[in-house]
Amino acid sequence: MNVPSISSCGSSDHSIHRRGFLQGALSGSGATLVGGLAAAADTPSGDALRKQQKRALFIWLAGGASQFEMWDPKTSSETGGPFRPIQTSVPDYQVCELMPKLAGLMEKIAVVRSLNTEITAHAPAADLISTGRPKEAALEYPEIGVILAKELAARESLLPDYVSFFLSTEGRRRPETGFLGGRYAPLLLEKSARPQDIDLPQQLSDLQHKEREHLRQLLSSEFASRRAGADLVNGYNSAFAKVRGLMQTDHLFDLDKEPASMRERYGRTEFGQQCLLARRLLEAGVPMVKVARGFWDSHHDNFESHRELVPDFDNVFSVLLTDLEDRGLLESTLVIVLSEFGRTPKINKDVGRDHYAAAWSCAFAGCGIKGGAIHGKTDPDGKTVADGEVNASDLAATIYTALGIDPRKDYHVGLRPVPLAKEDSEPISTILT
Amino acid sequence: MQQVVMADKEEKKPVELTVACEHPGILFALCFDAEGGNLYGAGTDSAVYRVDVNTEKPVAEKAWTNHDNYVSSLVWNNGTVISGGYDRRLIWTTAETGESTRTIEDAHDGWIRDVAAFPDGSRVVSVGDDMLVKVWDAATGKPVLSCEGHAKQTPQGYATALYTVAVSPDGGTIATADRIGDVCLWNAETGKLIRRLQAPAFYTYDSAKRSRSIGGIRSVSFSPDGTQIAIAGIGAVTNVDGFVGPARVEVWDWQSGKKLFTAEDKHNAVLNHVSFHPTRPLLVAAGGGDSGGILGFWESGQGKLTCKAKPKGHLQRFLVDAENDRLFATGHGGFQIWSLQRLSPVVG
Repeated sequence: MNVPSISSCGSSDHSIHRRGFLQGALSGSGATLVGGLAAAADTPSGDALRKQQKRALFIWLAGGASQFEMWDPKTSSETGGPFRPIQTSVPDYQVCELMPKLAGLMEKIAVVRSLNTEITAHAPAADLISTGRPKEAALEYPEIGVILAKELAARESLLPDYVSFFLSTEGRRRPETGFLGGRYAPLLLEKSARPQDIDLPQQLSDLQHKEREHLRQLLSSEFASRRAGADLVNGYNSAFAKVRGLMQTDHLFDLDKEPASMRERYGRTEFGQQCLLARRLLEAGVPMVKVARGFWDSHHDNFESHRELVPDFDNVFSVLLTDLEDRGLLESTLVIVLSEFGRTPKINKDVGRDHYAAAWSCAFAGCGIKGGAIHGKTDPDGKTVADGEVNASDLAATIYTALGIDPRKDYHVGLRPVPLAKEDSEPISTILT
Repeated sequence: MQQVVMADKEEKKPVELTVACEHPGILFALCFDAEGGNLYGAGTDSAVYRVDVNTEKPVAEKAWTNHDNYVSSLVWNNGTVISGGYDRRLIWTTAETGESTRTIEDAHDGWIRDVAAFPDGSRVVSVGDDMLVKVWDAATGKPVLSCEGHAKQTPQGYATALYTVAVSPDGGTIATADRIGDVCLWNAETGKLIRRLQAPAFYTYDSAKRSRSIGGIRSVSFSPDGTQIAIAGIGAVTNVDGFVGPARVEVWDWQSGKKLFTAEDKHNAVLNHVSFHPTRPLLVAAGGGDSGGILGFWESGQGKLTCKAKPKGHLQRFLVDAENDRLFATGHGGFQIWSLQRLSPVVG
């Protein structure tokens, strides 16, 4: 549907317009917008939590990273592959030799080696891990990151509550806002690591822009009183305020503001530079950031691809943790490394590993996490969980708990109470402080 | 135009799989003791397996285990098998007893990807993930040359690999080829780089759509007269999650640096090995990918595909036994022996 722009300058330079903005860069599901706003208005977040300025960073290894070549190496000749385990700074825990830097930082990292999430198709598996729940026909659940952004965002902040970097085309997904609606959709950065279309047109001054905003607010108030409800208009107003905030914080996306030495530390790879941007955003107060790195789906040449991807991850993640700690941010920032699933123990005819969800790994660090904790284990071939099995719902409960959010807290969709984490979930207490 | 014959669909197959010796896992390496009639293969389980090809029902028997990681290459050297592996070792093993007589630890600082023998058996040459080309005295194991010239990283700053090495029939030149499509020709006596050829079509990296590298030249081979080299791998890959790209061979006049022709087939596969047929005007290449395994025969003058067979599983390495019109191969699932006896009429 073509919607006329409300920008009166007529310039195509100023391409953010009311509907386009809400449905595009900062918006997710338009279908649930009105209901979502109502639900959100029913559930004010806790000021106490916001004052603690807790943050979260999802590092999403899209396609499914291999647990064998990262967190759960095996020496079995049938399944182990050619990489060897190396000792870490945590006694009796070894990681793959491709992660020597992280091996020395394991006292800051917690690993869960006993995920059994059952689903081995990309999209449904990503849905499961991202929401912590199986799909339900009657209700669309928001993703964990969306809930975290809502819970952790400072009410007066003009920064985006959630910034999602997903420049990789493989496995690209837009965080679903579910019943919370489009108001809680993240700022999506898919074509470039800098938001697009946020500069004022050359012929429009900042004063003129503010005057237009005042006029828009006046019209919105009239509209709210005569035609629509306050909830709907508040949602639009909030979104427009975020635009102003985003325009004023453009510098956060400018890596030239970082010392060259810092850029080098993170490495010049796209993943490294995005993680540096993520740190800048977290430091500035963005409560939820997601960085996705794709092309882990190694059905062929698994060892060649992990030989390329894991050392980059090793460098970037180790630098990121150290950088966050040096800035005093690690204690208040939960960092989560996840994929939609792991990879098969069996090495296929293409020297690859296929999708596997019956026994795989993920990692945590920072806020609420007991560094050096290793939860669960798999059998010697890595085919089954031998101890401490956990599922996607338990992961969600763990994430909320680590950030001081009660996983049993209810949102209300209409009259229906919906707990943040699934009713039968249990936080993984062994990795929590 | 010469007709391409699909071997598997013909009643009288120009090439025919006659023996399959099954083995779990993948065998990357292969060498042949022509006198004794024994094939040796090795791969993911670190062991070396032996097959007596002259028995009625050949079987693969475990001969020895001297490496403790993947074995990438085997070379027959007058009763001794010289092997290279991902454990960075070069190991000399007496074939009859399975006893190792020499081990060079850390022969390369990284996985050893390939080993080739000089025609007179006096030396062997190895390549590894340190991107070095190393020549060794086959009798003493002493290092003779170390040649440096391949890029240490991909253009995007990631780890690369030096996959393959071959020695010219006169023993005077060494050819090596890597992941990003560079081929180096070295003087085998001095170690001096003679020529660098670039074949970037074998390497796919698309920062927007495919931000992971894939491909590489997986095999290099000299022509019987030594004037040409064939290189093989996979062409432009459209989906990096699988080997979804055309099987590709290029033939170059290496002395002039001129590419003579490209032989590319729509069969989606990486060609892991290429070789000129020792006595016929044929290029032979084998591999596997999204379209399954492939054993292809191209006319070596202009690169026309003359015959394509579908092997049992993906192939990693082969040897042509010209005297008996046979081809021995290893790969996923074990050893294979193919008859090439009916191939002559097809290639005319």
